[in-house]
This record gives sequence, C-alpha cells and structure tokens, in this order.
Amino acid sequence: MIKLRNHSIPPWTWSFLAAVIVLVLTYMVSGRGGSQTITLAFTVAPYLVLVGLGQMLVMSAGPGNIDVSVAKVFSLGGLVAIAVGDVTGSWVLGLGASVGVGLAMASISVVSILYVRIPPIVATLATSLIASAISLTLAKGFQGSADPVLKSFLSWAPFGIPAFAIVVLLFTILVSLILKKTTWGSQMLAFGQARRAAEYAGVNAKETIVIVYLTSGVLAALAGALRASFSAPNVELGNDYLLDSIAVVVIGGTLMSGGRAVPAGVWGGALFFILLDGLLNLIGWSYAGQNVLKGFLVLAVLFLASGAPILSRRVSQPTTDAGNDEDEAEPEIKSLS
Amino acid sequence: MSTAILDHVGFNLPKGYARRALPGFLTLIAMVLILLVCGTIQPRIWSQNGLTLIMSPIVALAIASMAQMVMMSIGDIDLGIGFFVGMITTIVATLLRETPMLGVLALAGSVLAYALLGALVQLRSVPSLIATLGASFVWLGLGLFVLPVPGGAAPDWLFKYAFWKPPLSIPAPVVTMVVATALTWFVTRRTGLGVKFRSLGSNPVALMRSGGSLVVTRMLAYGTVGILGVLSGITLTAEIGGGDVNAVPGYTLTTVAAVILGGGMFTGGRAVAWGTLAGAVTLGLLTVLLTLLNLSSNLQPAVQGFIVIAVLAGRLVVERMTR
Repeated sequence: MIKLRNHSIPPWTWSFLAAVIVLVLTYMVSGRGGSQTITLAFTVAPYLVLVGLGQMLVMSAGPGNIDVSVAKVFSLGGLVAIAVGDVTGSWVLGLGASVGVGLAMASISVVSILYVRIPPIVATLATSLIASAISLTLAKGFQGSADPVLKSFLSWAPFGIPAFAIVVLLFTILVSLILKKTTWGSQMLAFGQARRAAEYAGVNAKETIVIVYLTSGVLAALAGALRASFSAPNVELGNDYLLDSIAVVVIGGTLMSGGRAVPAGVWGGALFFILLDGLLNLIGWSYAGQNVLKGFLVLAVLFLASGAPILSRRVSQPTTDAGNDEDEAEPEIKSLS
Repeated sequence: MSTAILDHVGFNLPKGYARRALPGFLTLIAMVLILLVCGTIQPRIWSQNGLTLIMSPIVALAIASMAQMVMMSIGDIDLGIGFFVGMITTIVATLLRETPMLGVLALAGSVLAYALLGALVQLRSVPSLIATLGASFVWLGLGLFVLPVPGGAAPDWLFKYAFWKPPLSIPAPVVTMVVATALTWFVTRRTGLGVKFRSLGSNPVALMRSGGSLVVTRMLAYGTVGILGVLSGITLTAEIGGGDVNAVPGYTLTTVAAVILGGGMFTGGRAVAWGTLAGAVTLGLLTVLLTLLNLSSNLQPAVQGFIVIAVLAGRLVVERMTR
C-alpha cells in the first residue's frame, strides 16, 4: 500500500479526473452526449492554459515566487494588440506589440525583484497597478475591432477540434520538453527545489528569475491579445484570470513551494474550471452559487490532492512530519525575502 | 554598525530591534511627508473635519492590514481578505440591521469558517495562498447571495459612529485605527498567544517541542484574522453606508503591500502592528494626495505602484548604509 503510494499516480491525474467527472455530470444533466461541450471547452480553455503555463513557470522557481500581474497584463495586451492591429492593419504587428508590452511590464517586475529586492508578490502587484493605469488610459474612447482573419482562426474548429487548442497543446508539449530535456529546465527546477544548493552548483539565479517572469508576462499579454481578438478588448477582460490561473496551476499538481512543474496539469485544471462553469450555467445556478461551489471544489481538490497523505504514515513517523517540512523550507524562503 | 550608530547617539536598544523597527519607521516618515504635502496643497485638512474626511476611508484598510499582518506573522498569506471584508459588509448591512441575533450568528460563523480554513491548511499541508484563494470564491458567492446588488443600509448604531466626534478635536478614524492597532499589538507582542503565533511562523518545531499544538495555534491565528476581518467589514459598512461584496477586492493585495511596507516578512515570525498601520495609512493617503494633485484617476494606480517600489528601494538604500 505504502509502496504504491510512493510510486504514486502522476500529479496531474486529479485535475483530469475532476474534469471528467464534471463532463459526465454535464452529459447526465443535459441528457445528451455529443462533442459540442468538449469543443466549447477546448475553444475557451487555451487562453487560461497560456496564462497558467506562465504562472506555473514562475511558481516552480521556488517558494515566494508568484506573478499577480497576469490579470492586468492580460487586459493590457488585449487593448494594445487590437489598437496596434487597427492602426497598422496587420494583426501580426498587433500580436507583436502585445508581446512587447508583456516584456516591458515583466521587466518592471524583474528589476524590482532582482535589484530593489522586493518580494515577488509585491513587485508584481506594483507592475499590475502600472499596467492597469496604462489600460485605463488606453481604453478611454477606445475604438477598434479584431482582425477578421485572426478572429475566424480562433473560432475555427475542423471536425470539432479547435485549431487554436492544437497550437496551444503543441506549445504545452514544447514547454514540457524544455523542462524535462534541456539543461535550463533542470536548472530551473533545481533552483526551485533548493535555491542555495542550485546556486552553489552553478545555476545562474538572475537568469532563471528573469526568464520565468518574462515568459509569464509575454504569455499573459499574448493570451490577452488573442482573447481580445476572439471577443472584444476590455479593461476588465483579464480580471478572472489571476485567481483562475493560480488555482488551475495548483489543482494541476504544480507545487506552490516550487521545484515541480506539471504542464499537463494546467490543461486538466483549466478544462475542469471551464467545464464546471458550463455545467453550472446549464443547471441555471446563479453567479453567486457558482462561486460558492467553485470555492468548495477548489478546497475539496486541495483536501484530496495535497501533499500530506490522507491515510497518514505519521504513525511510523511521529508528528514531526509537518514541522520538518516547514523547517526545511525555511532557509530558502528567507534568502528570497 | 547600526547599533554602533545608535550607541553613539546615546540609545541602547536590543540588537534585533533596529532591524525590526527600521522599515516601519521609514514608512512612517513617508507617511508624514505625504500628509505634509497634502496639508500644504489643501490647508483645510488640518482640522477635525478635514482629517476625519481623509482618514475615514483608510480605517477599514488599516484593520484589514492588521488581519493580513497576523496571517503573515504565522508565515501564511491571505488572498481572500478583500472578498471576505466585502462579504461582511453585506451581512452587516442586511442581517445585522434587520435581525441582530441572526447577524451576530452569521458573523461568528464567518470567524469559525476562518478557523476551519486554518485547520485545513495545517492538517492537509495545503499552501495557505491557494486555500485562502479557494475560500475567496466562497466569500464572493456568499456575499452575492446576501446582496446580489450593492445596497442595504448600515445599522443605526453604525451611523451614529460615522458621525461621532470625539472630544479634544481628535478625528474619530484616528481613534479607531489606533485602538485596533494597539489591541493587535498587545495580542501579538504581549500575550502568550502572540508568542505562539510568531513561533509558528518562525520555528514550528520549537513550538511543538514546547508543548504547543500546531493545529490549535493555526486555528486560533486564523480565527484572529477572521475577527479582524469582521471588524474591518463593520467599519467599511459605516464608511460606505451599505453593503457591497465587490467594494474592496483590491484590499487583498494592498494589505500585503501595507504589511511589507510596515516591515513584515513573508517568512513569518515577525508581528509589526504599528509598522503595518503606517504602511496602510501611507497607501491610503496616496489616493488622497493624487486626488489633491488633480491627477487623472486613471493614472493613480501607476503612481501608487511606483511609490511602493520607491519606498522599498529607499529602505534598501538605508539598510545598506546602516549595515
């Protein structure tokens, strides 16, 4: 029994299990099967996955690392992409501009974290405030609409499989390979597990921090640009993406304490959240009820899937178990803040 | 080095004291500077009414920051406090006004819910960040159940408080903030409970070996956070005159910034009530200052962001100099 638990199921299992349960419930409630529900979920999920992948990289870089600016950068990316695309008439330039904005915003975070030594949560909060101010200024009297070519691509679903979802899926596999196969990937995860040890082993701390935060910023802005092209740009477009991105990453099995990144789990978490929204809409729950249930489900998944085993091994290892964990983690966090 | 300087001046303080108090002290200086600039631009704030006017929106933020400070002193972060305070305002503006008994029960239930959340965090080794995040969905949903659209009205006694004018022309909000901070300071720094909270943050093994229970301590700490959150919600209801679950989602992160400005740390073990008060008032006064400067309200968040970075950069410079 213990042996089985130690070898254990892959960390992303829980999120996909949750998504499948919700899917089955949806079928039961609507009384008919069919691929429509799945197609819809795969149309909406990729945006959350993109933001989530960035968040995942940041969180994997060790305790204390989190990007709370994704929501505002998302909205800003959308506004900038549509505005630039409208002026120049090219959606490619629009997307390029959003990437630039993402880089610029993330650079503020990076500089604050590395050189002003501000804890990441406060540094990215400051970035988020700055991004939100730019969005509000841009949005004043904003006009412009998405390029029809891009828009039709984003909603194009041959054989019920959204093409954009395939692109994001390939990207997820790429991220997964980078983490597993490249030196940088192993270095980043090692850095997340034990910062000081990794630094002694020659991992460049600055480089790691710079890359994860810039990637997160770019992915958030790009996802925002695509989302805005899919529907319409809006200052509040990204608001839900902050909490959701953190939640799906953790539900997907990525450790908040860093050192374990689970790209596949981001998909599981995102599908779970989006299918759940669909299900609750279907059975006519109010927005209030949806939130309560969503909250309880997040807590329930945490309860089931988190680190400590339910059938505890504490009998053999007396209560110091939890204490030791925190004790070991402590010096790492200290060096960060 | 820092103690050497202090010795030179004639102080003889405990070793860790300067390191602990310095950040909050610098924030206090920033706060006074902002207040002085505000006063120069608009001299009318130097009166009981003027100060009440600029300080009253900050009261709820200050108390919510105390909650976040307690949370951070045990090494956790609360990402749900914004919606929790919002939910409390909806309860105060409806249940507590119409059926006080039920209202009090609901508020007690909210505190209990927080304590249970603490148990979940401890027993299942769940990161506090994500547990409170999950709880924030619940607060938002419950708040929307109570009041789907902003509305309701504050109970009469709260209205009386809102128009209360203390003697000696002391502004009422300052009294509330100082009392709340003093209570938090007393509990976290002068009682056995506070020692337990801080040791849970800095050295849980030591807490366990000294016979304390990790679960009970964390539940008590979360309960304290819940109580402070309820107080913050009550003062916010007095300020906005009704209930709105979406009144202050920004508190979640602003309170973290206030604690950091006040000298708190993410690692826990440090309880800085007065520093946090200075941090919260600084952040609150910034909005006043930017309004007085006639800055477009769209730009205000950016300036706030830059000032947070600037204050922390200033602290880094001062710390390097005194080391």
